[in-house]
Amino acid sequence: MKISLNWINDFIDLSGIPVDEIVHKLTMSGLEVEDVIDERKIYKDFVVGFVKEKKKHPNADKLSVCTVWDGKHELQVICGAPNVEVNQKIVFASIGTIIAQGQFKLSKAKIRGVESFGMICSEAELELSDNHEGIMVLNDELKPGEKITSALGLNDVILEVAITPNRPDALSHIGVARDLAAIFNIPLTVPAIKIEETAGKISDIASVEIIDVENCPRYSAMVVQEVEIKDSPEWLSSRLKKIGLRPINNVVDVTNYIMYETGQPLHAFDLVNLEGNKIIVRSTDEESKFVTLDSKERVLPKNSLLICDAVRPVAIAGIMGGENSEVTSTTKDILIESAYFYHSSIRRTSKSLGLTTESSYRFERGTDPSNTLYAAQKAAQLIAELSSGKIAEGFIDVYPNPIKQNEIKLRYSRITKLLGYEIPQEKISEILFSLGCEIKHSGQNEVLLLIPTFRPDIEREVDLIEEIARIYGYDSIPTIETISVPLDIKHDESYFVDNIKNIASGLGFYEMINNPLQSESVASITGNKIKILNPQSQDMAYLRTSLIPGALQTIARNISVGEKDLYLFEVGNVFNKHVTDEIESFDDFSENQNLLFIITGRAAKKSWLTEETQSDFYILKGIIHSFLIKISLDNVLIDSYYNDGKSLFDYYFVKSYNKRVVGTGGKVNKNVLKFFDINQDVFCFEFNLDELKQIPIDEKRYKELLKYPKVFRDFAFIFDREAKHNEVIEFIKREGSKLLKSVRLFDLFESETIGTNKKSMAFALEYYDVNRTLTEEEVDKEFTKLITAVTKSFNAKLRG
Amino acid sequence: MLEDKINRIYSEFEKDIDGVNDLKKLEEIRIKYLSRSGLVNGLFSELKSVPKENIPFVGKQLNSLRQNVTDRFNSIKSEIESQKTSTDKDFDLTLPGSEIRLGSKHVLTQTLDQIKSIFKGLGFSVFEGPELESDYNNFEALNFPADHPARDMQDTFFINPKFLLRTHTSPVQIRVMQAYQPPVRAIMPGRVYRNEAVSSRSYCMFHQVEGLFVDTDVTFAELKGTLVAFAHQFYGEELKYRFRPSFFPFTEPSAEMDITCFLCKGKGCKLCKQSGWLEILGCGMVDPNVFQHVGYDSEKYTGYAFGMGIERIGLLKYGIDDIRIYFENDLRFLKQF
Ligand SMILES: [Zn+2]
Repeated sequence: MKISLNWINDFIDLSGIPVDEIVHKLTMSGLEVEDVIDERKIYKDFVVGFVKEKKKHPNADKLSVCTVWDGKHELQVICGAPNVEVNQKIVFASIGTIIAQGQFKLSKAKIRGVESFGMICSEAELELSDNHEGIMVLNDELKPGEKITSALGLNDVILEVAITPNRPDALSHIGVARDLAAIFNIPLTVPAIKIEETAGKISDIASVEIIDVENCPRYSAMVVQEVEIKDSPEWLSSRLKKIGLRPINNVVDVTNYIMYETGQPLHAFDLVNLEGNKIIVRSTDEESKFVTLDSKERVLPKNSLLICDAVRPVAIAGIMGGENSEVTSTTKDILIESAYFYHSSIRRTSKSLGLTTESSYRFERGTDPSNTLYAAQKAAQLIAELSSGKIAEGFIDVYPNPIKQNEIKLRYSRITKLLGYEIPQEKISEILFSLGCEIKHSGQNEVLLLIPTFRPDIEREVDLIEEIARIYGYDSIPTIETISVPLDIKHDESYFVDNIKNIASGLGFYEMINNPLQSESVASITGNKIKILNPQSQDMAYLRTSLIPGALQTIARNISVGEKDLYLFEVGNVFNKHVTDEIESFDDFSENQNLLFIITGRAAKKSWLTEETQSDFYILKGIIHSFLIKISLDNVLIDSYYNDGKSLFDYYFVKSYNKRVVGTGGKVNKNVLKFFDINQDVFCFEFNLDELKQIPIDEKRYKELLKYPKVFRDFAFIFDREAKHNEVIEFIKREGSKLLKSVRLFDLFESETIGTNKKSMAFALEYYDVNRTLTEEEVDKEFTKLITAVTKSFNAKLRG
Repeated sequence: MLEDKINRIYSEFEKDIDGVNDLKKLEEIRIKYLSRSGLVNGLFSELKSVPKENIPFVGKQLNSLRQNVTDRFNSIKSEIESQKTSTDKDFDLTLPGSEIRLGSKHVLTQTLDQIKSIFKGLGFSVFEGPELESDYNNFEALNFPADHPARDMQDTFFINPKFLLRTHTSPVQIRVMQAYQPPVRAIMPGRVYRNEAVSSRSYCMFHQVEGLFVDTDVTFAELKGTLVAFAHQFYGEELKYRFRPSFFPFTEPSAEMDITCFLCKGKGCKLCKQSGWLEILGCGMVDPNVFQHVGYDSEKYTGYAFGMGIERIGLLKYGIDDIRIYFENDLRFLKQF
């Protein structure tokens, strides 16, 4: 919210306090100043100029060559604005001036062959408005050469203050002034109202009835008659413009002005359009339609709070007025509404309409119920003043159940316990008093306080402690240098995954982090997806059910920028719905942490030392095996293999433990790749880490190193092509006696020389005994037996 | 006499081999002395002309000659060979070494690891929780009542009115406090979601680390001390810091911690929006309402909580100017960390 320091000065005296200090102290007490616009700095080089002559530019139709008198010199200036005329007073920027819009330094220029020594400015160039249609034409009485900071009153400092949702009181100039008064310990003065009532009795002119008292506890109103609707005077429109508002007319501007001054939103009705001269406040009991003053038809949900006249709605309470009762240029009599609406009701309607206004913003945070009448009277006074209107006698103030001030007990010891240091009691009283709290009862160890109604956020003792701490200054709280840590056992739930990420990156993989929100078509490739109720876009409307689709998108993106050789991994959560209906409990869906390894392109580039290798199924399998060795699970998982072209994979393998699948992977199906526009083979394997985590790992035990030599043998057989490696290996292990400790495939080929539908597999075998040296003879005996067995069982032929 | 011959041949061999430093000459020497028809073998054939009683003695001498010649030959040979490799001027040392495939953890993981290790060193446990959370754990229990504007601070992706994608890791605080009695000292890293338009400054998800410490005498002063210790370890000892009041529904009092801008050292620049300060985390004393929701006695226990965004740290520390690049997983980006 924009705060004008000149405006603030209506309530407190900040003279003598540097702007930097105001900014720093405000920020350090909780009203964070995000930006400072110091007009005195921005406009220091601009002066009032006088256009003495205007000639057509010899080389450009739309440009004029002007002679400008800046109080000291006559200067030739090129101007492109259509509205520049001789004898105008204008804003002149000489060479060297920093132009606000775009932050550039003006230099001497040659425009189509004619020199220009300065610039005649538009409002946009001065950042006074976004009007760049023409130059800004000034009041004729201004003196050329006078700085615009004084001539135009551009001597304000505007602060952009971020107001947190707990501080509705600070959404006004008086509210910010109150904080400043507390910070600098200076008095705050809110001007009294002097009302001159010249019209008839208000009770004869209008009446108010509240039906929904719960959501509208208070409704105050004033009537001003015979107003003349016109532009606001310069001082008012200028104050509004400086805080970013567009002046409209004297009535609307005053209602805005009072809201930004007091924090109380106001609305002005054209009394002639209020049927029965009556206001009725009620909530709707069914959905209805209403046209707001921006000429839009809105669908109001059930239970919306409405302001109605005797027959129809005239405003959505606290949000926006209706087109049917708004103030127009012909309005004569107005009713000023100043009400206290309950925050929840306004918020619900505003959310449902998707319509937030300055008014609803304040109501839903909580306005001051005690302030409605003051604001209404102040507005009436100002409107009457600016529109030669007459204020009706008296006021309307329907407030059936006045809201009581909160009473809170504050224990001094509690402040110390929470903050860790002691604040002097007189300092505490001073702070609370300047924030508007009244002391109801004061004891030695505690104090009973009455909380002002403009601070709905102060509900408990702890809220008061925060108020004291923030005004006293968080900087004053000591920063302790020692902490004590109990020696209990510490948990580390991320240890397992941290370890996995270290291993995966050690295996040559880069970690990805993909967006778990996906489009319907992407999320549909795997699993049973969960839909987002209010997605940002259709591209992000579902939760992923697997890490694979997101990774394929990443691969496609990388390929498109020329990165075709990829070893990537990701650890992330995937979500699957278990019910067809709405999710009602945590049992209705699963959220699992998965791990994906994905490879594509070259596994090794050709170099002068090595040949190129393409990523393939066996490279993937080897990686997965190595990974499992590193997490000590290589010997406990069971593999199964499938060539059936399941939807996601052309062929794949599954790792399981006790019949529970812990991971699946293989060669990604061509059609799936096509969907992602990927034209190269991709291989991946996805683990469910929640399953993997549960597999018990045998504690590591030292095994004595082998003392006796190993005996090596190898053999090669010609098998039928359909023979499976793992069957042969298992057979050899089973049949190969206790002395055979390891079998490894070291060669495989098919060729015509060994016959069609045949293949040759060669195995290396290791024999040893941990207790003795084996003799060649006994190994040969076992080896020969094994050859016979393999030959027989697999219809295989030993190769020479 | 054969014995004389033995001595003569050995000294001749010594003379021949002395100063030899190329393999070709050496091969000639091998043929002359050690080949099948060489001089040493020739001597063995003369053994039959030696009187029977002298054979063992002469034979021994012959064997030792063969041994000496062979040893000397081998030692010269390996000397020459090793010289050859080190003196070959054309041996191209500039050829590239063989490439090893490298990988790395994502820069966000690396940043998180650093943060975790600092807090683990300060005695914090590490807890995790689900991303798909209940509205109760994410909002209600953390003192965000329904229909409260505080909820606007965190635009939310809902699954339905009861379930949502967590907007912060704070629900893990609730889970931890429900499971353990004080003292509780833990950090909670994780992924969170915000329903914000994707731009260079905001993304629909990001990562957070939150911390929580609840015990009988936890004070704001201890919160400050702990976070300053963290900031000094993580950002460097020289930095200046400040705590300024802020608002979070689940803490009271609440604060934000700023540190001096590392780019301009506090003078004011684009990164720090001319303020000289960079906001690095939010923190505060746990709100009594939160304790009430988890069944802790808020008179007996006090606690602090803090939270920081990991992406933001990278934006500040590495000069990354677009948050989206974290999640595009462009290899050219991943390889930089
Ligand atoms: Zn900076």
